[in-house]
Amino acid sequence: MLDSQSVPVYTAEMVTPESRDTGIPGNWAIWVGILAEMTEFALMFFVYFIARAHHPEAFHQGPAKLWTLAGIVNTLVMLTSSFLVASAIHAIRADRARTALTWLVLALVTALGYPIMKVLEFRWNLAEGLDGGGDVFQLAYYYLTFNHLVHVIWGLLGMVWVMTRLATGAYSATNHRGLVAFASYWHATDLIWLMIFPLFYVLP
Amino acid sequence: MKPSFPALVLTWILLVILTLAGAGLGEGASPGVGLTLIVAFITALKGGMVIEEFLEISGARPGLRYPVRVFGLLVPVCMVLVHLYGPQIARLTSLTSG
Repeated sequence: MLDSQSVPVYTAEMVTPESRDTGIPGNWAIWVGILAEMTEFALMFFVYFIARAHHPEAFHQGPAKLWTLAGIVNTLVMLTSSFLVASAIHAIRADRARTALTWLVLALVTALGYPIMKVLEFRWNLAEGLDGGGDVFQLAYYYLTFNHLVHVIWGLLGMVWVMTRLATGAYSATNHRGLVAFASYWHATDLIWLMIFPLFYVLP
Repeated sequence: MKPSFPALVLTWILLVILTLAGAGLGEGASPGVGLTLIVAFITALKGGMVIEEFLEISGARPGLRYPVRVFGLLVPVCMVLVHLYGPQIARLTSLTSG
């Protein structure tokens, strides 16, 4: 017969979200979104490659039409903001919430450069006569990059949300699953841009 | 395993270097299978670094880990396939024959 002293007692402090290793960075909800995002872009990449196989000349000449510097700057912006978000996760794991918030503020300031640069790039394109009514390269370029921009804007809204949560003490070393969920989405969006960048700005 | 802060910094520096190197190649090198292979390799390498170091996918369950890793290789593999077998892929994906 068990006496009360041999039965382990678990308190709320001992069983925290981070102590249960589910094998899911963040939570299931965000991964449904991330896998849907990856599926959507995988389909668009297939369309890109089929179009490229059918119209090789349009795609060979395509990168020379675009403002390469804008593509490079946006790649550096995405990579750097991703690094800053990863640094925020590193800080919150050490229970340094204020440091984590500082990293996130830097990530937000950096990431805001992406939509600003995109607006400048689209204006440059239009001045050069590159609109959505051009050849198949231009169509693919606008479809993929505009779609990615929408995902970045969702990510920016998510970043503001987790910053607010962090500033109000919602996350700690033992409970930061929501912050990891946001970080996973942001890194996935960064990963997709790393795939888009060479297709339009580098590969002739 | 969770990456250390120096590992994160190193990853970021390498990603920046690879981005600038890849862009420089696209500007200067002449088109061909060699350039396509190099661009595909750089793309796969950068994708792999983001997946492993930032997304920390090695700690995730296999049902997430493998699809994400496959996604990171999708574009580089297709770059090479379309370069090598473009006309055949165009024929396979045509709605009309001849």
